[in-house]
Amino acid sequence: MTAPVLAAASVTKTFQLGRQPIPVLRGVDFAVAAGEIVALLGASGAGKSTLLHVLGLLDPPTSGEVLYDGRAVQHLSVRERALLRHRYVGFVFQFYHLIPELTALQNVLLAGMMATPILRYLRERSERRRRAVALLEQVGLGERLRHRPAELSGGERQRVAIARALLAEPRVILADEPTGNLDSATAKGVVDLMFSLQRQRGLGFVLVTHDEALARRADRVVRMVDGRVVG
Amino acid sequence: MYRLFLALRYLLTRPINLLGVFGIALSVWALVVVVSLFSGFLAVIARHVHGASADVTVSGLPPGTGWPGLQAELRGETNVAAVAPRVVHYGLLHRPGRRPGPPALPGRTALHGGDQPFLFVLGVDPAAESQATGFAGWLVDPVIPAELRAADPREPLRDRGDRAAVLVGLDRMRAEGLRPGDELVLTTGTMRDREDGARVTAQVQIPLVVAGAFKTQHGGFDGNNLFVGIEVLRRHLFDGASVVQEAAVRVADPQDLDGTAARLSRAVQRAVDRGDQRARGIAQTWRQKNAGFLESVEHQRALLKIVLVVILVTAAFLMLATLSMMVTEKTADIGILAAMGGTPLGTTQVFLACGLTITGAGVALGLGTGCITAVYLEEVRQVLRWATGIDLFPLEVYNLDRVPWHLDPWWLLQVTLMAFATGFLASALPALRAARHDPLVSLRNA
Repeated sequence: MTAPVLAAASVTKTFQLGRQPIPVLRGVDFAVAAGEIVALLGASGAGKSTLLHVLGLLDPPTSGEVLYDGRAVQHLSVRERALLRHRYVGFVFQFYHLIPELTALQNVLLAGMMATPILRYLRERSERRRRAVALLEQVGLGERLRHRPAELSGGERQRVAIARALLAEPRVILADEPTGNLDSATAKGVVDLMFSLQRQRGLGFVLVTHDEALARRADRVVRMVDGRVVG
Repeated sequence: MYRLFLALRYLLTRPINLLGVFGIALSVWALVVVVSLFSGFLAVIARHVHGASADVTVSGLPPGTGWPGLQAELRGETNVAAVAPRVVHYGLLHRPGRRPGPPALPGRTALHGGDQPFLFVLGVDPAAESQATGFAGWLVDPVIPAELRAADPREPLRDRGDRAAVLVGLDRMRAEGLRPGDELVLTTGTMRDREDGARVTAQVQIPLVVAGAFKTQHGGFDGNNLFVGIEVLRRHLFDGASVVQEAAVRVADPQDLDGTAARLSRAVQRAVDRGDQRARGIAQTWRQKNAGFLESVEHQRALLKIVLVVILVTAAFLMLATLSMMVTEKTADIGILAAMGGTPLGTTQVFLACGLTITGAGVALGLGTGCITAVYLEEVRQVLRWATGIDLFPLEVYNLDRVPWHLDPWWLLQVTLMAFATGFLASALPALRAARHDPLVSLRNA
């Protein structure tokens, strides 16, 4: 196995419910390498999504280390962590989380604007647009560029979300139950698309799911129970 | 880049934000129009007051100050072009044998005068006064009808038999139906020495005959003043002594008005000071002498500015409300932005950009329409009067020929800065609230 792009070492995460500490991650070790698909499998409340958020630097660990290319990053500033998140990670959520005011194309383009100054963006505008259109065509939405999320089906929305996650050319995709809100036929199509894109681009891929069948398609399955990795 | 892009998309897809734009625009419009109107009004009033005043007036002289000595002292100042002596008194003007009517309610005479019988009487030397002030022009103003003009404007105050000639303001002439040749009496008082040596107040009645009308642009001056020959007052009040109570001065270089007045003050005090620290004489520019009146208009302008700024703040609250609603609606987006590499500061800037864009649009709209309205205020007044019969700014009351305006670039800049400062504060609150949202909570609640 190649060196991990993203890793968690002895990560714990404890939430406070009033005065009551709720441990959600209890010393998790986890890694994903470039080109590898890892399925995080577990029941609801096992800590899969929390681990995904910690790996994606959306949530700091209570203890332990989050490593990007072997470098501990959990102590970086908010700005530095945001920049790393932008460069390393693309998120795909169960509920798509597209911005309703924007068209499919604008939602994808937005990902490219996040860390780009205005002047540079304006200089590269046509090239960025070309890439966004190409991505949307790749996910089968070439005819839906100007449609807003409300005008798209669930599967189409998730395809837009995938294109958005890929535009910034991340090293790893973190997908949190990406098919949880889709019917089985659409879900299969979306998963096929994600895995195909992952292979083409050699991305690391962390797929949170509680679907055993879907998990079996991954290169490696990591099972979580009560905040611990059990296999 | 995403901050501006998202801010514009949010604004363009929410027509309710137009409320904020219109609120800011309306308050900026009001600040521009009302203040430009008042500034124009102030400029016109100042011009009118100056037109009815000497450049510098020397007053507060000790009793019995002689003219030759004072004149010589005033002439010694290099910037003095002309000087004229005055005796200033007061009295009730009425027709012979008739008691004057009761005075008008207080406060009615600030701008106009002419509606009460109590007047100031200026005893002047017409030839000298014409050199020092616009006196000669006041007698031949085109609005004075021929039948009310002084017969000989070069010698308008020549006595007619036992009656002294008097010049009356045009409006008072019309109001009281006076015509040249009409007889009047000025009833006043003076101090006399009784036989036992005590000084007592004595009534003096000066028989007058109307010589003609005068008209300055300052209605208050015209209504409250009469002109008689200086010798008339000297004869009736000072037993013919060559006393002077006031001097009108015209300066050669108006740019040095304040300096000239200060130097004249010192010169006069050197000449007339008797060491008793009472009346020592003072030279005041026309602006200093009318400071109370001019400042009252300026105070009104300042008060209106405060009221209008309150309207601006109210508009900002409207914007704050709409932006707060937007932040509440967009909590999910805050989580998405964070997932894509956004920071809390970036989130703040998105909503701040929304607020500042609303403010910028409102300011641009308000400044544009405000400037146009100010320039065409007279036309707006006429259209309103034609359409509704309501005259918002009756010109005759203020002796104007059109609604005045003056657009001061410095004030426009101040309004712009105030609007942006208020807009910034009103946007900063919801923007900071947006930045405090936990992105994970936002994503979970989406």
